[in-house]
Amino acid sequence: MFSLFYGLYKYIFSKTEFHVLILGIDKAGKTTLLEKLKSLYTNVEGLPPDRIVPTVGLNIGRIEVPNSKLVFWDLGGQPGLRSIWEKYYEEAHAVVYVIDAACPSRFEDSKSALEKVLRHEDLQGAPLLILANKQDISDAVSADELARYLDLKKLDERVYMFEAVSSFDGMGIKEGVEWLLEVMERSKRTEMLRARAVAAGPASA
Amino acid sequence: MGILFTRMFTSLFSNKEARILVLGLDNAGKTTILYRLQMGEVVSTIPTIGFNVETVQYNNIKFQVWDLGGQTSIRPYWRCYFPNTQAIIYVIDSSDTDRLAIAKDEFHAILEEEELKGAVVLIFANKQDLPGALDDAAVTEALELHKIKNRQWSIFKTSAVKGEGLFEGLDWLSNTLKSGGI
Repeated sequence: MFSLFYGLYKYIFSKTEFHVLILGIDKAGKTTLLEKLKSLYTNVEGLPPDRIVPTVGLNIGRIEVPNSKLVFWDLGGQPGLRSIWEKYYEEAHAVVYVIDAACPSRFEDSKSALEKVLRHEDLQGAPLLILANKQDISDAVSADELARYLDLKKLDERVYMFEAVSSFDGMGIKEGVEWLLEVMERSKRTEMLRARAVAAGPASA
Repeated sequence: MGILFTRMFTSLFSNKEARILVLGLDNAGKTTILYRLQMGEVVSTIPTIGFNVETVQYNNIKFQVWDLGGQTSIRPYWRCYFPNTQAIIYVIDSSDTDRLAIAKDEFHAILEEEELKGAVVLIFANKQDLPGALDDAAVTEALELHKIKNRQWSIFKTSAVKGEGLFEGLDWLSNTLKSGGI
């Protein structure tokens, strides 16, 4: 009986945990974004941008908002390391793809890496937030311009949004997180991942 | 209530000291790394039976580095040192491709340990100076590092003999511990 009530209590009050992958090529600003998220949403002060070194592995940021918990996985973006991205796809609820909007010479590289991400079947139905990062730099292109440049095909059936942000000063980040929460809460993929967790048993839930 | 004050006191006034375990198979280069970090020079070492402990001061963090012997017979004793560990440095001999599978199994067994659940993981793909040494991406693959999903990890190519890569790794470690650990 107790466990029944406890289960009910947990069902009503427990926060849903969402896993969000932060991807993008090297020097896009993924880790700076992660540290900014920590500063904005937790009482831990994230690392200042000048102390951040290239990621060779996985950085994690956990934030809590009313009703949900978000776990961000920030993976290294150097060409040799991109092969591990796909190992994290299966459990991801959504993807944040970071692009250095002030560096047009690397848009092509960004675009092809993103297209590869989108083709992967383990990410089917995962909402996609594309960030035109580094808006604090004066010659950064806008979100619309970036969208035009990337000219992504096959995005039609995927929930996605472009957003202009600056991981450096925090511009646009909260809007992006709010959008993510909203779409993840009602995405088919979230339902699918939840069903799978239930099927796997309470230990992994 | 007393505990609360003690916690507040220690968090306010204690010098940041982190306990770090250096683990890995025998002959991976753990002791050479420890003394390279501590003294900045290469010492000739013999297989460690038991452990070496040194304090390394870097980036305002005091690292208490425990180098535990890596031979099969003494690996079970690693467990005695697990409590209160903030980070693990796992050292790989990147040129010893025959034993990578064993290194992987030992590594994942360590990650399963309850008392190490909160520790961040730094991997040194060591012995990069030797011919045939695998690079960081290959070692990542061989160790199946992607299976780690709930804690931070990073891998660095190192040569303890030449002194390369070690402090880059410590940079990452001190940053990670400062920005809230796992």
